[in-house]
Amino acid sequence: MRCRLFKLSHSLLFAGLMLSHAANAEDWQWHGFISQGLMQSERSNFVNDTGKLSTELTEVGINTSYQLASDWRFAGQLMYLDGGNRYKDGWRVDYLFLNRTLVNDLDWQLDLYLGRFKNVHWLYSSTRDVPVTRPMIVLPQTVYFDAFRDIAVGSDGALLKSTNNTRFGEIEVNWSYGSTPVTKEMAQRVVATSVQGATEQDFVHQFSVYFRPQASQSQWGISLLDSDFNYKKAAVDYWFDGDFTVQRVMANWRYSAQWWELSSEIMQERVVVHGFYAPVFDRTVFAQGVFVLGSIELTPDTKLYLSHDYYVGNKDDRRGSLLPIQSGGMIKSYFGFQNDTGIGLSQNLAEKLQIKLEYHYSDGTGRLGPNVVPDLAVNQSRYHDLWAVQLLYWF
Amino acid sequence: MAKRRLIALCAFVMIPWVLAEPPNVQPEVIAHSSVPVKQLTPAQLRSIFMMRQVKWPDGLPIRVYVLPSNTSIHMVFVEQKLQLFPYQLDRVWQKLTYSGTGTPPIEVADLATMIELVQSTPGAIGYAEMKELPSALQIIQIKP
Repeated sequence: MRCRLFKLSHSLLFAGLMLSHAANAEDWQWHGFISQGLMQSERSNFVNDTGKLSTELTEVGINTSYQLASDWRFAGQLMYLDGGNRYKDGWRVDYLFLNRTLVNDLDWQLDLYLGRFKNVHWLYSSTRDVPVTRPMIVLPQTVYFDAFRDIAVGSDGALLKSTNNTRFGEIEVNWSYGSTPVTKEMAQRVVATSVQGATEQDFVHQFSVYFRPQASQSQWGISLLDSDFNYKKAAVDYWFDGDFTVQRVMANWRYSAQWWELSSEIMQERVVVHGFYAPVFDRTVFAQGVFVLGSIELTPDTKLYLSHDYYVGNKDDRRGSLLPIQSGGMIKSYFGFQNDTGIGLSQNLAEKLQIKLEYHYSDGTGRLGPNVVPDLAVNQSRYHDLWAVQLLYWF
Repeated sequence: MAKRRLIALCAFVMIPWVLAEPPNVQPEVIAHSSVPVKQLTPAQLRSIFMMRQVKWPDGLPIRVYVLPSNTSIHMVFVEQKLQLFPYQLDRVWQKLTYSGTGTPPIEVADLATMIELVQSTPGAIGYAEMKELPSALQIIQIKP
């Protein structure tokens, strides 16, 4: 289904381009951003394996949209990322979809998106790698796990988005169904560096509801995710055929005041594994996490950010005590959790030009990739830190 | 010593509150005379300026004009009429822009341009402080 939908949106993109010469200039929209930074994490593989200062913090995006007719439009974004070990470097199409407006009256808007669309279900998911919209350079890894970025950032399929104005406030409902192609390199970042076989996402089904009460600056949300993956081993492979199920339940909250803002997301993730480690193997683990992120506007051009992120890989083993026992002493207990505290500063240098500075200190390595079989060679320290500076421009 | 540092930090953080002074402007919501709606609720007005509501009930496309976010009339309009803070509205527009789910409004440099464009563009909506109302413009009433 996803291939057909993606091909359809491609075809419509080119049809739109051919029609564009006759278009009103306001029907075409072009925007983008470019950013470059420096990053270092000496005692972890978050940025690289050497711990040396890295320039692998490049984000470039160009996006366009075109109004085909009163209720039809298409939109697409080409993205270049270089994030070191965090994700594959290179260009990718982050979204390319056809948007049909189904209802657009003063109190109810309903839109259908077909093709490749961004994940709109979490607080920061739809713009997680757009530097200007992201509160911090590194988002809380509990929810926005960078090793999983290319799989979680969007899907090929269908998205429905509804917003209602009611007497109690504004209600937004989002539903999506689709899947994401998983390359071997993506699987090596998420599952284990040694995987040689083929990983496929069978489907990802998501639903979210947001409520913004009348005359209040708060927002409340719930999001649900259900996804299946399968792994087919290669002819020569250390691992076996396997199936994975990932299910997430999340709640989020945000309060906005004039000079400050506070947001939080809390999640529980159920991960079921059949096979993979051995031909007959079954395991169900519940991971949990929560982050709180605050910002204070110090001056109209300066913002201070503070965050705390808490993650446990197994809610029944919060300090990871079972990991050394289950792995014959190979996996240390600190791979079972991660507590991260971050502080950041953003400074506008000119209109649409900004610099960000950031420092994080982490106890535990539970949110360093790969997630299923951790990198034991590099991540030999329970504690690690990270600093980053990023210059960004957008238009 | 720790107490003094805490007091100094609190004083530093309070600077924006102490220095903030509400600008003395009273913007009205203005629209082209072709716009078929005479009054809106704050929630409906928010839907329009958040670029979710893209056409009027008769099907005429809505063209939204705004001033730069750091102008005092924009700040007062957003806080009084939309009941939001300007940074929230900026974030909504950026989210729409960079996720592809919508398009941002048209930003104009000054009030004179805003009035000129709203009165010459069918379906247009914007805001301004109006002493006299040109015939091609109407003021949209916001229900309390």
